[in-house]
Amino acid sequence: MLDRESTFADAEIIKTLQTKFVSVAIDQAYQRRQKDTEGDFYRGIAKDSPRGDGSNGGTTQGLYIATPDGKYLGYTNHRSPERIKKFIAESLAKFKPTNVDSIKPEKIDRRYHPVLPKGGLVVRVQARVLDGYEPTDNKWQKIFQSSLSRDNLWLTNKEHESIVNGVIPAKVQRRVARFHLVDNTRGEPPMWRDDEIKSINMKLENGKLTGNASLSTRDGSRTFDCDFYGYVKTSDGMITRFDVIALGKFFGEGTYTKNAPKGKFPLGISFTLADGKDVADPIPPQASRGWLDGYLKN
Amino acid sequence: MFLMDSFEMQHRLSFYRPVWFFFVVAIVIQSANATDELNEEKFQQLHQSLQTSADEPWRQIPWEISLLNAQNSAAKSQKPIFIWAMDGHPLGCT
Repeated sequence: MLDRESTFADAEIIKTLQTKFVSVAIDQAYQRRQKDTEGDFYRGIAKDSPRGDGSNGGTTQGLYIATPDGKYLGYTNHRSPERIKKFIAESLAKFKPTNVDSIKPEKIDRRYHPVLPKGGLVVRVQARVLDGYEPTDNKWQKIFQSSLSRDNLWLTNKEHESIVNGVIPAKVQRRVARFHLVDNTRGEPPMWRDDEIKSINMKLENGKLTGNASLSTRDGSRTFDCDFYGYVKTSDGMITRFDVIALGKFFGEGTYTKNAPKGKFPLGISFTLADGKDVADPIPPQASRGWLDGYLKN
Repeated sequence: MFLMDSFEMQHRLSFYRPVWFFFVVAIVIQSANATDELNEEKFQQLHQSLQTSADEPWRQIPWEISLLNAQNSAAKSQKPIFIWAMDGHPLGCT
């Protein structure tokens, strides 16, 4: 998120990436584990970087530049646009265009290529902390404080049919609670455990969705109480509109979501039917990483 | 003009105290609900504000989300590959 609002908001970097590179965004937690063609290609690049190929179990996150045949040209984990421009210029200076074959995916590690169930639906989930932060002059903190997070909610064909018939299945309600009623505005959030759902109730009447949810860790170090409000419209057996808001008071933070506002703070979460026009629409839900069956089970 | 003496006024006020107390509490609760209630107006405003704008600068970059697709495009166009690799998908998580 920080990179979206800093590095990739710089006009010169955008222009360079538009014209001189093929750019790809990945969750490297997949590629460094994949036992397949893509995983081999990624680790072949990363192994020559200061990060290594991840075989020690550590993250390989950062920015890489490589040739089309997978030769490492450069790496940085900085965010400052000036450092990134220097990194790009130095890497480009090493690049010589040559004829290279396209690599075919001869082997695919299915565990790390989750696919939306046939007939299923993608719902975009976006969240923002609406108030409660201490004022700051720090530009990075300011970006965090106003950030809009992104994730996707997946629904199966059967769940889609159930919603068309006016019922939000209990499994869907618990999936929403556990994996999507989270504060992911400052980083990867802790998800909720099943026994941390104190209550959830989503009711659909004449296309209007209302309800509420209450979540709490056992020790009360993280809590969220919210209301739902919105609209679900259907036509010819298909959901054609899914515009829902969860609004409530969140408390606490996680290992990678430090610096939350003190005390309880307002968190707004929107759920919107994906139309396939966003590059992020096919990205699997964060909570399904290596565990799609577990994600859909809830 | 009707005038109450001090004793009568105190008596009447103490008689009505529970009623006044209930009335004040009801107003406080009502105004608190009005602030927090997720109503139609708040829904419209909030849902709109929680959408990513198509004009966001990072969206002007033609991102691939498959590394092999990026390799295939790079091979065809003879361009280097720029990889944005994060913990959690940079376009779809956080």
